[in-house]
Amino acid sequence: MISQPRAFFAIDHGSATVSAALVGHVGGRWRLIAHTSAPCGVDVEVLLSGLLSQILQTDKALLDEMAAGDGVAEIDIRAFVAGWPRLVARTTPQRRLAVLAGSRRQRRRLEACALRAGWLVSGGSADEDDAVALSRLMLSPLTNAVLLGADHSPGGDEKRHLPDLAALVNAAMRLRPELTVILAGGAATYEIAFSAAAPVAETLVVSGTPDKGPVQTKIQAVVTPFDETTGEGEDHESPESEVIASDDESGPAGSPAGEGDTAASAAEAAPAFMAAAEPQVPVSTPVTAETDSTAAHVLLAPDAEAGQPAGSALQQILEGLRAVENDSRLGIARSIASLAYVLDRPIEVVEVGLQGGLRARSEPVGQGHFAVVSSHACPADASFAPSEPSEEVVDSVLAWSTTTQDRHRLMDRLNDLRLTPWGEADGDGAVFRLAAAKAAVARLVEATPEITAYPMPDLLVAASGIFGSLPPAVVALALADIVRRPGVANLACDQARLLGPLGVIEDEAERRRLLANLADDILVPLGSLIVAAGLRHGRSAGHLRLKGPASISEIELHPGAVQVLDLPPGRAAKVDLDFKDAVRLDGRGHHFSVDVAGGLAGLLVDLRDIPLRMSERPESRRAALDAWQRGMWPEVDE
Amino acid sequence: MSVTDRLPGVEISPELARVAGRRVIVFSPMIRFRLGPGDRALVAPGDSIVPGMPIAERTPDASLVDAGRLGAPVENGRVGRPGRPEKPDKNPGPASRLEPIWRESHSSLVDVASNGRRPVGADEAALLPPPIVTPPRSERRRPPMPGKWWVGGDERRDRLDRGKPAARVAGTLLYEANGRWRAAAGERHEVVESPVAGIIREARNGVEVTLQVTGAALPGAIAAGEPSRGYLDVPRLTDGDLWASALDVGRSGAVVVAGSRVSAQAISRARAMSIRGLIAGSVGQGELRDLAASESRQKASLAPSVPFGLIALDGHQRRPIATPVLALLAALAGREVAIITDPPLLVFDVSEVPLPELPPDWIRVRSGQHAGREGRWIESTGLRRFRGGIHLEGAVVRFVDETETTILPVSDLERFIF
Repeated sequence: MISQPRAFFAIDHGSATVSAALVGHVGGRWRLIAHTSAPCGVDVEVLLSGLLSQILQTDKALLDEMAAGDGVAEIDIRAFVAGWPRLVARTTPQRRLAVLAGSRRQRRRLEACALRAGWLVSGGSADEDDAVALSRLMLSPLTNAVLLGADHSPGGDEKRHLPDLAALVNAAMRLRPELTVILAGGAATYEIAFSAAAPVAETLVVSGTPDKGPVQTKIQAVVTPFDETTGEGEDHESPESEVIASDDESGPAGSPAGEGDTAASAAEAAPAFMAAAEPQVPVSTPVTAETDSTAAHVLLAPDAEAGQPAGSALQQILEGLRAVENDSRLGIARSIASLAYVLDRPIEVVEVGLQGGLRARSEPVGQGHFAVVSSHACPADASFAPSEPSEEVVDSVLAWSTTTQDRHRLMDRLNDLRLTPWGEADGDGAVFRLAAAKAAVARLVEATPEITAYPMPDLLVAASGIFGSLPPAVVALALADIVRRPGVANLACDQARLLGPLGVIEDEAERRRLLANLADDILVPLGSLIVAAGLRHGRSAGHLRLKGPASISEIELHPGAVQVLDLPPGRAAKVDLDFKDAVRLDGRGHHFSVDVAGGLAGLLVDLRDIPLRMSERPESRRAALDAWQRGMWPEVDE
Repeated sequence: MSVTDRLPGVEISPELARVAGRRVIVFSPMIRFRLGPGDRALVAPGDSIVPGMPIAERTPDASLVDAGRLGAPVENGRVGRPGRPEKPDKNPGPASRLEPIWRESHSSLVDVASNGRRPVGADEAALLPPPIVTPPRSERRRPPMPGKWWVGGDERRDRLDRGKPAARVAGTLLYEANGRWRAAAGERHEVVESPVAGIIREARNGVEVTLQVTGAALPGAIAAGEPSRGYLDVPRLTDGDLWASALDVGRSGAVVVAGSRVSAQAISRARAMSIRGLIAGSVGQGELRDLAASESRQKASLAPSVPFGLIALDGHQRRPIATPVLALLAALAGREVAIITDPPLLVFDVSEVPLPELPPDWIRVRSGQHAGREGRWIESTGLRRFRGGIHLEGAVVRFVDETETTILPVSDLERFIF
């Protein structure tokens, strides 16, 4: 029998920092007990020991309760660190894909899919570049994979180049057997050339073949249709879910005598991943680049227009090829989907890190809201400190900066932020980090127009370490500045960075159960955001009445301004909005009555233009940004 | 204690262990020389390399060349175009003289041309039979394959026009289409010499040469220019900086420690004085851009230049060189060192250099308003409110020559690991 611990660690190995949280079964449900983070080079054991020591100092009774659940009489921090299970997610290091096509048009389509899948892309097309330039892309030691693509039925402009391109890619693969080659669309017809000429190459087909190599298995897992209703895959149960089933059967019956009902309920509620025989070993062993680079692979993939929306099929395959199994960014996307089901509301998340960003949206649909529709993209250029920042990146950071800086100095700061992303998090450094993060979110939003096309979600979540270190009110303003749509949304922040590790749990039902318990703990409420569109400029746009349980506040609404009302966390209120002109909120009208929830930043009423319009002159733009920011962050000058 | 003796693990407090560690010395690092189409490796895995030894040959102006039909079947022991007798090589051209550039131990150019992808361990290398038995020319030939070195020219293909100078090109084969091979080849070639001693771990034409360095290295944050080698010169620094005027011809052939920041003027002057490299605490992105532009101009002008490397130990914003690092560099003064660009390293293959003795609680401020200052860790303060109302883990430190303590974010600190 495998005993069920009453606590586990959730660890998120990011590129900049490592975050650790302790989740325990307390008071009949799973709770977030404590969390911490440190620069990524710091030993995780030290981090976990420190976390437990802090709990011991502040609430020894809590630790006693968790220790008693484990059948341990005395608190032994080392034993807990070594013995309690760990749920580990990690950021996939950036990987580069060489995109080759017969025409520039096709190359751009393929590049768009690859960028959305999180690859760094270097592309070339036969009509623009010669074979030496294309070969240089593939032979670079920094390139991890090659995508050769064409239309499903290639046109004349690319068809005539395909034989030469296939021969070129084949030759590159013979020089670099560790390269993974993806033949997309019409290029798949040249697959036979690869298998004939490269005996070491292991030719794999994405679907329909019983022979599953390591890469194919991974791709297969990615493209397996998922039944959101039951939370299970259609094909078969995962090995871990089998472990759960057997454990659930023997768990309550086999519980040690005297453990009591609480222990039994804890055992029932314990997540299945805890049933791992070796708790020290991470639940999902990451597949590193080295692991899958031992042999050459040729994958066949659909063309860049396949799927709904167009390109999603290829994106999914490229994403599965890039990411490690316990990738934290994909974990966040999965957690958001589960959370949307649990909370029964549309949720959107934005996350920017050192290696890229993520924007995901999940929405319950259908009768009874038993299904969840999700979409996401994780472009690598949404990093808050991209390597070798382009002039456009520098421009975007300058555009969101509230301080005067010359371009060279700003580029130096941006490069240093990449070298030590955990450093200079206070004072001027915090202001600069905010500008870098906002620029990254702006790039992320620009790269995901299909998500922007949806209406404002009920819940908008900011999930990344850089947001966690900034004041909540500033994070709320940053979301209002960039993720702009008319409507009403609750704002939250994944301060403990738990969404990634929880998304690693493969069993959807288990994840939902845990998230149902932990949702309130994970999401730190920032407040509510009301964004109205279609206002006419003038002195007054109307009135707002906030009706709380004990008081009523009323303010005059000013077009072009961000107004903040106090609404503490845990409070819900009803807001009546009376506009002089017809505006757009949920729909178009003069009078609206909406429910809002409180948070650390309160209620933000944003009556600025959509999209945000600011002066082209740097001084005026900086002044406007500074005025809005200072209202939310008065301590900035300390 | 010397750099070849690894320090025993020093026990530090759990709070101090949360400070990001900075490794001052790395042993036997792996370094890489990137190659491209048209470039070939002149070494094979397992080869022992000494400084100055040619390891690769670059083709800077490689362009696409039609190499013709090379993959014909073997006829009467000969490889060549069917139906055409192979001409005797009476007058070996410059390309033929190019081939045996370096040969040591068990490497052979035939293996190199076939990419030598087979990793050879020390044991396996010992078991290899002694080579240097030159086979007949026909037997030495291998079938064409991507990456194979190819030498071509008009006179070799019976296409020499009278009155025109013979254009001889060489490079690597790229791919075969419709029975004809294309190559990335050019007329001009450059030999890349290894700046360090080590063992070749991987050598692939057109891709890379990786080498495991013999000795130790000081990791840097940024490197630019080319791998270079010279004697280490540690001049007197004024307020942590070196004046550009101090870079005179007397320092030719040296790798100079240039202080906290290196300017574009200092870089230009150093290159003009045949200085082999500069080591600084930081270098700006503008200076790096200027250096890259200057190098590309020099290469385009076909003027030969000595390799020049630049390494910044901390980053881009101005910071003084850390005192333990400066002490290490002072101890190495006068010795031969090498600047490596991929990854950024300062390699020294000497064994008897004393490492600076540091207390285990010695810390340095890596970033923030006190960047560059050093002192001792006193204690952790836990979560604390810092400038701008930001809440971060704090630490009490006492800077050198100060009696008062200062509270700083832990994330701004670094500690040294030898």
